[in-house]
Amino acid sequence: MARCADGTHAARRFLAVAGAALSLSLGFSSSQALAFESPQDGVYEDRIDWGVTGDMSGPAAGSQHPWVKGFQSRMHLVNEKGGINGRQINVLAEDTRYDAPSERIAYEKFASQTPVLGMSGMGNSSAQTALVPMINRLKVPVVGTYTTAKASVEPTNPLIYGGFCGFKQMAQVGVGHFANSLKLDKPKVATVHLDVASGVEFNGYMDEAVKKLGGTNVSIPIKVVAADATPQVLALLDAKPDFVAIHGVATTSLLVLKAMQQYGVDVPSFAITYLGTPSVYQSVGEAAGKNYHFVSCFTPASAASPEAAADLIAQAEKDGHGALQDDINFVAGWVVAGLVAEAITEAGEEPTREKLVEILNDGFELPASGLSSKLVYTSKDHEGLKVLQPIGYDYATKKFKSFGDYADFEQYVN
Amino acid sequence: MLVQFLLTGLALGSIYGLVALGFAVIYKAERVFNFAQGILMVCGAYLAYTATTQLGLPFPVAVIVIIAAAALLGIVIQFLFIRPLSGQPLLPVIMITIALSIILKALIEILYGVQPKPLATSLPTGVLILGDVRLSQLNLTAAVVSWVCMGVFFAFFRFTKAGLLMRATADSHEAAILSGVNVNRINAGAWAIGTILAVIGGVFLGQIQLASTELEHIGLLALPAVVIGGLQSIPGAIVGGILVGVIEQLASGYISPKARDVFIYIPLLIMLLVRPWGLFGNRELGRV
Repeated sequence: MARCADGTHAARRFLAVAGAALSLSLGFSSSQALAFESPQDGVYEDRIDWGVTGDMSGPAAGSQHPWVKGFQSRMHLVNEKGGINGRQINVLAEDTRYDAPSERIAYEKFASQTPVLGMSGMGNSSAQTALVPMINRLKVPVVGTYTTAKASVEPTNPLIYGGFCGFKQMAQVGVGHFANSLKLDKPKVATVHLDVASGVEFNGYMDEAVKKLGGTNVSIPIKVVAADATPQVLALLDAKPDFVAIHGVATTSLLVLKAMQQYGVDVPSFAITYLGTPSVYQSVGEAAGKNYHFVSCFTPASAASPEAAADLIAQAEKDGHGALQDDINFVAGWVVAGLVAEAITEAGEEPTREKLVEILNDGFELPASGLSSKLVYTSKDHEGLKVLQPIGYDYATKKFKSFGDYADFEQYVN
Repeated sequence: MLVQFLLTGLALGSIYGLVALGFAVIYKAERVFNFAQGILMVCGAYLAYTATTQLGLPFPVAVIVIIAAAALLGIVIQFLFIRPLSGQPLLPVIMITIALSIILKALIEILYGVQPKPLATSLPTGVLILGDVRLSQLNLTAAVVSWVCMGVFFAFFRFTKAGLLMRATADSHEAAILSGVNVNRINAGAWAIGTILAVIGGVFLGQIQLASTELEHIGLLALPAVVIGGLQSIPGAIVGGILVGVIEQLASGYISPKARDVFIYIPLLIMLLVRPWGLFGNRELGRV
């Protein structure tokens, strides 16, 4: 009896434990179904890993490091607001030092060792071009490139999406705006450019844009480690251009502008987007800088409306990057992080690389935010930001100034 | 146009000559081929940025602070890294200077960030017009200061006791030690002078461009200058620097910017093959 009683008690205990185990197990599997994970895509229950590559300590660090900081700041804000669909965005940043082999190693790492849902940056156009076959094989989408190599977007690649203003549009808007505002029928233009692949590419686009108006363009190359721009400015004096286009890095643009002032070459000039930094204007001084502009699809904080720039300014201050808020590269990183956040949001609660590509490739649009022009991806065009505007600097207020809205310059882009 | 190129090349070459002179002084004293000379020049640009922009010191005070800091930096480098390797083969010493260059660059980027810094001092920035020739007053000032520095150090080595001891030590460490010369102190002095010269070059190049670690590449043009002029020759370093500056201008102006390297490094190759002791160096003869 006692045994029976004991047996009954044991059976009851068994049933209770089994029941609890069953309900725990059911509960666990139901929560598993709710919290989707795909570690091979860098997607976990509570976070999504996203890769960023950029030159943070090499020759292009002056422009790419602020870009990475801008990207990180925007993602800090996204995370502080609760992340995306309950997941925090974990940015894995790799310093690739403007070096193609390092870029390749970082991409492979993001594909399998520390898998990410996607990545942004890849600011070395030569590396980007060389990595296209690998990107096609490993299939980690590159969303928001710092520079967009021709081979990455022509023909359209479903895995690569531009995130910076293109050289072609820089040339078109710069030439269109200056020819129009100076009332030139057949503009005579000189392009001072670095003697590297992107410089030659930009000069080619300048040729096209100027020829379209029946004008002429003179190519004037300069070395990236030049210590002086006298030969270039003597060539400018010889060419007698109506305006000058400048491609290069901060130091070369500075040398050209100072030498132009030295030789009394008082013609308007515009530079590529990357040169839109306060330090260039501050170094060159008002006399040489008043006639100098840059064309950009991004708006520095001081030239944007207070509402559009409020989050960027507040977050930059909070992250200790207050001095970068007017750096066009910081703004560009901020905008690209916004693009990434929007794409992940649209990929839903169960995001994968495949789904992300589907969302972006099917037709994706981000309206003009006040900090950038409209971004559009279609299945046939992944360049993204196409409309630019000229921007100058007001030395009295130490602020950048726009020359209108992005819509005003759409006419020059085709 | 030719006169313009020659004068601009002379002004720029004077800065290269100054940095090359610092290189030659260190080589003469310790037989150290200092690959950190370029980054020491970069230190000059950042020291000037700190003194003038961050600390807001008046320019004459800033100059004193920059020179004192440069001398201290040179002495510390010699004491910590070069002196312990005294008597060692050439390779470890060269590796030390390469490592030093990498460390200093990283430290600068940690301390100041990677963005170039605008450097504004009270040095003249206008233009001097002489007929058809236009010269930047900043470049001219750089050339004049370089020539004054070269003159001062030339006189120092020629007419002062310390200079004489340095030359004696450079000729023979052993003989100097036997004569009771404090060789360590002399070598530290050579590093102080070499660093001061590099730093002055950096102050000018930092203002001509921006204070940036990329200036190191320009500073390294002192290497071909010093090899062409003669590794152990003080006038050779100066002439070598000027030659590099003029060649750079003529090649960039008449051919293309890329031609600059060809026309600077071909003479260097020829010099190493035909006259390895340089234009003004002395051929070393050894008894067998």
